Amino acid sequence: MPAPTDVNIPAPSTLAMPSPGLPPFDYLCPDDPDEVVALLLQHGRSARLLMGGTDLFVQMRDGALAPRVVIDVKRLPGMRELSFDPADGLHVGAAVNMNALAAAPAVQQFYPLLAQAVASVASYQLRTRATMGGNLCNGSPAADTAPAALVLDAQCVVWGPDGERTIPANNFFLGVRKTALQPGEFLTRMEFPVPPTGYAGRYIKLGRNAGGDLAIVGVAVLGYPETSAASGYRFRFALASVAPTPIRVPEAEALLAEQPITSGLLSQAALAAEDAATPINDLRGSARYRKAMVRNLTRRALDDVWNQLQAEG
Amino acid sequence: MSTTTTNPTRPVGDSVKRIDALEKVTGEALFADDLQFGPGLLFGRIVRSPHPHALIKHIDTSRALAMPGVKAVVTGADTPKQIGLYLKDRHIFCRERTRYVGDPVAGVVATSEEIAEAACKLVEVEYEVLEPVLDPLRGMAPDAPLIHPDLGNYEVPNFIFPKAGTNISNHFKIRKGDPDAAWALCDAIVEDEFRVPHVQHVPIEPHVAVAKMDQRGEITLWTSSQSPFAQRNLIAEALGLSQSSVRVIAPFVGGGFGCKAGVTMEALAVVMAQKVPGYAVKLRLTREEEFFTTFVRQGLIARTKIGATADGKIQAMQTEYFWDAGAYTEYGVNITRASGYSSTGPYEIPNVRADSYCVYTNHPVGGAFRGFGMPEIHWGIEQIVDMLAEAIGMDKAEFRLKNCIRTGSIIATGSTMHPVGLVECIKQATAAIHWGTEERASAPHKRRGKGLAIMWKAPAMPPNAGSSASVRFNEDATVTVSVGGQEIGQGAFTVAAQMAAAALGVPYEWVRVEGPIDTQYNPYEWQTVASRLTWSMGNAVMAAAKDARRQVLDLAAEHWGEDVDHLDIKDGMVISYRSEEAMPLKKMVVYGLPKPAGQGWRGGPIIGHGSFMPSYVTGLDPETGQGPRSVVHYTTGCQAVDLEVDTITGQVTILRIAAAFDVGKAINPDQVRAQIEGGAVQGASTALFEGFQLKNGKLANHSFVDYRIATSVDVPFEIIPIIIEVPQDDGPWGARGIGEHSMVPTAPAIANAVADAIGVRVLELPITAEKLYLALEAQADGMPV
Ligand SMILES: Cc1cc2nc3c(=O)[nH]c(=O)nc-3n(C[C@H](O)[C@H](O)[C@H](O)COP(=O)(O)OP(=O)(O)OC[C@H]3O[C@@H](n4cnc5c(N)ncnc54)[C@H](O)[C@@H]3O)c2cc1C
Repeated sequence: MPAPTDVNIPAPSTLAMPSPGLPPFDYLCPDDPDEVVALLLQHGRSARLLMGGTDLFVQMRDGALAPRVVIDVKRLPGMRELSFDPADGLHVGAAVNMNALAAAPAVQQFYPLLAQAVASVASYQLRTRATMGGNLCNGSPAADTAPAALVLDAQCVVWGPDGERTIPANNFFLGVRKTALQPGEFLTRMEFPVPPTGYAGRYIKLGRNAGGDLAIVGVAVLGYPETSAASGYRFRFALASVAPTPIRVPEAEALLAEQPITSGLLSQAALAAEDAATPINDLRGSARYRKAMVRNLTRRALDDVWNQLQAEG
Repeated sequence: MSTTTTNPTRPVGDSVKRIDALEKVTGEALFADDLQFGPGLLFGRIVRSPHPHALIKHIDTSRALAMPGVKAVVTGADTPKQIGLYLKDRHIFCRERTRYVGDPVAGVVATSEEIAEAACKLVEVEYEVLEPVLDPLRGMAPDAPLIHPDLGNYEVPNFIFPKAGTNISNHFKIRKGDPDAAWALCDAIVEDEFRVPHVQHVPIEPHVAVAKMDQRGEITLWTSSQSPFAQRNLIAEALGLSQSSVRVIAPFVGGGFGCKAGVTMEALAVVMAQKVPGYAVKLRLTREEEFFTTFVRQGLIARTKIGATADGKIQAMQTEYFWDAGAYTEYGVNITRASGYSSTGPYEIPNVRADSYCVYTNHPVGGAFRGFGMPEIHWGIEQIVDMLAEAIGMDKAEFRLKNCIRTGSIIATGSTMHPVGLVECIKQATAAIHWGTEERASAPHKRRGKGLAIMWKAPAMPPNAGSSASVRFNEDATVTVSVGGQEIGQGAFTVAAQMAAAALGVPYEWVRVEGPIDTQYNPYEWQTVASRLTWSMGNAVMAAAKDARRQVLDLAAEHWGEDVDHLDIKDGMVISYRSEEAMPLKKMVVYGLPKPAGQGWRGGPIIGHGSFMPSYVTGLDPETGQGPRSVVHYTTGCQAVDLEVDTITGQVTILRIAAAFDVGKAINPDQVRAQIEGGAVQGASTALFEGFQLKNGKLANHSFVDYRIATSVDVPFEIIPIIIEVPQDDGPWGARGIGEHSMVPTAPAIANAVADAIGVRVLELPITAEKLYLALEAQADGMPV
């Protein structure tokens, strides 16, 4: 199954001695999406899907996963295509690698927030293999591209036993390593609607060091002018690494829509983000530090977005 | 290249290109795992103790042995004798007791790594779990469980003092003057405790060893090694073999930093190979094993008290070091000694008391790590000196200038300091970052700070650590230099070639240095550690080259009928200053020269030999640590750091590190600068990011996911290397070591700069963003959003 719902995966760092190699598996590379569905249904939990493998192989080596069948879906039609249409928005095949995604002119021009989030993942070398689809399907609370997907209202298009269906990114993450994918389903592309006119966005990732760490905290903020809102603006907030899944912060969003925007209100929104965060203590950082960082970095991102909006408006 | 015709010692003093540059950048250079052994190669994997402290009640290897593809299983029953560089305190495979998580209990040899790994899971070990010792203070307690109940019976050299019936494997003391009386004179006294966690070397290349025993019982070991000769010696002794029955072949090393010195996993491969005569057995560690089953830098708890009079003169210093040495002490006992005799840092202090304890714990095994105890002790020394300067109300650079060692100072051991350029290091490093000038931070939420730290370090080694070299000519007058010191990336072969070329009078490009190091063919070298090669091996190379040179000149003198004093070798030509005769070295250095009138030939193949051992080092009094020449020499230096702290996240950005070291003579200035830069980077990494998170003896962050090291985007924006040259009396061309020293002062210099920026003193490494942020929050009683 693409995303098992009941497998308890121990955190790799609690395992004492990972093995030097990967456990044995069969590698399959079907060219028909329905064959993938059939294989997934046939093998159930002993099959895993493969794109860049930067999560899958690491988990297999750590002993957290031992699939008998690995199904490579990178070569299926459309999986590595990226297109932009001014009316329809951006379509990104699930297996488009992150460097290609971040470098695409349409992404640079219309979705700089997405480019920022993608560029914050690991290193350039790793991003030649890693995919955004894999980042979302892996279901990690720390997925750096998830907050961008949430605030950009991305849609996850999946193929399954009943053909195609669409899951909003906002409903995609159900828990640690749990996504909304059903048995036999797999992700084929992400669709990003045309963003609101005049919007500004920012993703801030805090790692222990600047190069290639997983996020202690990730904060995405997107804002745009909106006449229907009392404040004249709407904002969207999403956080990574501070809850069992990447989360939106509706409380902060409501605050900033309802009242005229002042510095004090921006602070209140940052506090609302802090309140929404329910982080744990782990090797990367304490819950206390994480909560403070959600507040401070939300404020920093918000200031940045607000300044951009005012400069444009 | 700074080659100039005015350099009288060239190519010594020139930044010539590294001798191994082309091989390494093209990927042609061979490392241990590249060597091919054909289809008969077997693989080993290790069964390791999951408990920090346990008794082995029973081992059943029968299921593992029955697995298809498994060739042999070894256990502690196969290793009756003990091994250890100083204190022989461990069995190659555990016998009755395991002492850390990862302690090798059994080894499986099989036709593939996968089979060996799978069979490891079939080795059944029954343990009786014992109470572990998880910190050195607990280990010192009279009621602590004993990790080595037989400590009193272990073999040990006469300068290490284990305490039988305790967990203390060495106690080193300094008693100089009368600190108790001196405190009363002091106008300011500061006292604090500083902590350093275990860290790892994280070389790019993990440990690899391939061992084979032939039908005569002779062993060959191919391994990534800083210590081929020490490994030969220790493994031979532990297996009851003669040294010449063990041959170690060591190709290029992909990073050592101390972790490939002494014997770690190599001995496991050898014992496994003994079970399958005629077959080579390869053992290579995973990155995770690299973290906790090879040597680590020891943890340290340092308690220090220091006092000065109002004129800014330090009067007394008292120190206790509690080293978290781990389960065994390959090097730990000597780190304890070195840190004890260097415990004052590079200061002249009349009244000193120091007690340095090496304490067994059920933690990973402490070993050599770049700096050999000095980065750990300077973490506390250089902060407490800063705190004392503050208490006295003196500028921190001025305070150091007032108290630091100078030529002729009497140091902690009572020895007299040799010529030293530390004052100049302090002056130049501080000037390079505009010390004393306040500079603005780059943003309103950032705070800028400057700090400095000075350091000293001596090569810590047994007094009879020797080096040897040979220099031989080929027909074309190129020169082959043979040494036993290892090229571990530091540039040792390049420097050896420069020295041979300079001493002989031939161009640098004519010199080759033989690798891999093979104990069967290469001359003896104690170990590639202690920043001692340029100095010690350099002395041997210089002597060997001079020996060969003398043979050439004697031959030419006889040939020309001239006095040898009038002859010289320049650019590969023998010349006479008197008769202005000249002849090329070519051919004559192998075939000799014809006598007149067809009367035969004189001379013959020229080969020079040289050795060096510092026979002038004296012992230290076991009760007072006093002695006339405690060490060969100290390298000294200073780092000055300019940084910013982001008050919103606690993150530190290092803007500049200026680093000045007195290297005596820079044989290759570019390589010296590279060491200074590399040290600043590794130092910054340990300062800001690195540290073991041990939970009940188990390493929680045993991979790069959660053990962070500095990457190219984390390193200081600007590193300003400064070379000071006050010649060393016993060094070739006046050179002393620089490899380790460059990272010694970095962490405390950063801590001092952080304290300057935000008024927060971090007493325990690393200086994480989280620590600084939470301290700032406490300071401000709630940060404004
Ligand atoms: C050194 C390193 C650094 C990293 N740093 C970061 C970081 O900074 N930030 C971050 O967010 N992540 C990081 N990661 C994690 C990882 O690189 C990313 O999550 C990456 O985007 C995964 O993409 P992939 O194509 O490699 O996925 P894969 O490993 O191929 O797949 C990921 C998961 O999704 C499943 N899957 C694959 N394809 C599909 C599909 N079409 N439909 C449904 N399920 C599917 C797989 O079975 C697997 O469970 C890092 C990983 C490494 C090794």
